[in-house]
Amino acid sequence: MSEKKTKKTGKMLNATYGLKNIMGRHFLAIEQAFREGKPTAWATSGSPVEYLYVMGVQPMLPENSATVAAAQKYSKNFIEIAEDEGYSYDLCSYFKTNVGAVVSKAEMSKGGTRKPTFMLSTDVICDTHVNWFQVQAERFNVPHFTLDIPHVVSNTNKRQYDYFKKYVQEQLHGLVDFIQEVTGNEYKEEKAKEVINNSWDLSMVWQDIYNLRKEIPCPISTRDTFGGLFPLFCMPGLKEPIKLYKRMYKEAKQRVDNGIGALKQEKYRLMFEGIPFWHSLKFFSVLEQWGAIIVYEPYTYAFSKYMNPNVTKEYLLSNPIDAMSELLLSFWYVYDLKTRIKKFAETVEQWNIDGVILHENLSCRPNSCGLYDLKRHLMDDFNIPCLIISGDMNDPRKFNDLQVTNQIESFMEILEKSKKR
Amino acid sequence: MKKIGIFDSCVDTPEEIILAADFVPYRFFSDPTVEIDKVNEHIPPTHCMWTRNLLEQAINGLDKDIIGIIASHGCDRTNREFDIWIECINLDFMFFLNTPLKNDETALKFFINDMKELIFQMEEYFNLKITPANIKEAIRKMNQIRSFLKEISEYRSKMILKGSEFHALVKYAQTQDKDEVLEKLSSKLEELKNKKPFSNDDLKKILLTGSDIDDTELIKYLESLGFHVIIDDLGVGTRYFWNRVDENDEPIRALAKYHLNKPIYSTKFPSYKRFEVLKNLIENYNVEGVINIAQKFCEPVLYDHPYLSKKMKELGIPYLFIEVTYNRESYKQLSTRFSAFAEIISR
Repeated sequence: MSEKKTKKTGKMLNATYGLKNIMGRHFLAIEQAFREGKPTAWATSGSPVEYLYVMGVQPMLPENSATVAAAQKYSKNFIEIAEDEGYSYDLCSYFKTNVGAVVSKAEMSKGGTRKPTFMLSTDVICDTHVNWFQVQAERFNVPHFTLDIPHVVSNTNKRQYDYFKKYVQEQLHGLVDFIQEVTGNEYKEEKAKEVINNSWDLSMVWQDIYNLRKEIPCPISTRDTFGGLFPLFCMPGLKEPIKLYKRMYKEAKQRVDNGIGALKQEKYRLMFEGIPFWHSLKFFSVLEQWGAIIVYEPYTYAFSKYMNPNVTKEYLLSNPIDAMSELLLSFWYVYDLKTRIKKFAETVEQWNIDGVILHENLSCRPNSCGLYDLKRHLMDDFNIPCLIISGDMNDPRKFNDLQVTNQIESFMEILEKSKKR
Repeated sequence: MKKIGIFDSCVDTPEEIILAADFVPYRFFSDPTVEIDKVNEHIPPTHCMWTRNLLEQAINGLDKDIIGIIASHGCDRTNREFDIWIECINLDFMFFLNTPLKNDETALKFFINDMKELIFQMEEYFNLKITPANIKEAIRKMNQIRSFLKEISEYRSKMILKGSEFHALVKYAQTQDKDEVLEKLSSKLEELKNKKPFSNDDLKKILLTGSDIDDTELIKYLESLGFHVIIDDLGVGTRYFWNRVDENDEPIRALAKYHLNKPIYSTKFPSYKRFEVLKNLIENYNVEGVINIAQKFCEPVLYDHPYLSKKMKELGIPYLFIEVTYNRESYKQLSTRFSAFAEIISR
């Protein structure tokens, strides 16, 4: 890739720079809890992290740490350490980054993490999460609680949904008992209300920010959302990130009011499906060279979690376990194929999207599954230009710069033709 | 007879419910001779070779007697690919059974509900009745099959029955009319009782574990290299018949308990307990070596391998881990590794 092509043209919000401080404080809180012997837990993304905050447990999300390692170019080394331990080239690169980081006792700033008091996983996104924490819980010899979330498929009916929900509810009660048993900390309703309020507010501001992306020109690029996403994972329940998101919103709103976009010249509005390549974020700068801006990523939007219209703030506050069960079963990121297609088509319309780039993630098979059918339906039924590129979220060895750039060039030509029609 | 197809990476589908509806349970198996083509439009080539093969066969045309499909939550593949099967297969009855990941009271209750839903949907769609009495009768029949298979399996360790022959027999049991299966197993047992052991001087007695290997030719290939599969913990093997369903319990509850308490597989939680299953088999069958075969991209087995490798080392048992692609030619490329492993066992 030439120097010229990787030149940055987009503008990040000033407020987004504040993310560094917020994340710094999060890592500090982990270090402090670890030093003081306070309860800590690893949690997989998609887990109800709120419960950890409610019960005085400091959460750590190794997936976030893995992305930190990739962005700083440490992930390849960590992955190779894991492969030396016998983990296959084909397994999840987040998992292997985490194994390598733990084995090499990496610092937190480089993608390392700390031994937790216990681990909390769920198969809501993938079975890999459960396998991953099983491996690491065995290594650290710490207790591990997993939430088994029934898989909602295209033909799941209401009756099934109801007993699925009951199953999740019972497990959430089990989780509370487990945390109490391991840490001695109790579930307190007042604290639960405070955490839920904060988690809700955090998500709502994020959704407000997302709604601003509907504007033309779009005021926000992936520079803000890819990094800005992390508080949704690690800090749902705290006040600080809400303030940050509000600042991001305010600044983006000002841009909208003044007709300023994140790109100087916005030509194409795109959707990006899948986990970003954290090791090669410059790819997104390549897009900007073409006047293309990504205005929607299901990945970063999904984690604002409160999107199910049945789950209101009142419902959450009055019956948190019930509401959380509903949310775990209706998570945007794992929609069944039929709903996924419908949701994509709606999003394309609402966000004025010209084309969709789908990331066939070589080590995240659950996310890549269904991508071909999704693409076909979007193209055939809705006439939406789509491009599949293959790569890997954390393993730079599986990302071919030149090939992806060539694919993008061709895709831009298709978009150009499609706009002229 | 009409059949219900089973898409299951973990033998978790309650065949008794299908039998009680008077249908034949028909587990889908892959066929390495099938040319992979149409499935490339639906599932990337870097995904499980086995499920890609199954879908390719299904797109090419299912057995005309298959009137519905049940898929069970085995791994991420069955979970995610079920919707693609709905897209590609022209059958109205398609049911996804959410077999639980864990084994506790909460999971048991849920599994019972899910089985009841399966019964409800089958009754409604096929306009029939699945009664507790019919299920009980099916349980008795399946228990009989399990007993036969368990007894026949022992002839492997008596060096009377080849592993490949037994493997083919288990596949037969999972695809054919159960009355015919009973007849065949019964006569096989009689035949084995009168057979003399084959020479076992140079045979390496191994335990076969890993993905649910369903190509009998692979077992035959191992035999051609001097190995004898004395025991296994596969779904196309002991996991299919090791335990019995309690005939005195309420039938749905008994079925749910049976499936949750089967020897654990890599797709369940916590899968490291699979080592305990293997350890018992190793000790009880005087196993000389363990071969763990993962189908290419079979993630649950790939996650378990380093742990198993470590534990087998501690146990002092030779252990070989192999990844295979779904292509018989590729088996031959592994001959050097297999031969080296045979050498290690001989020492």
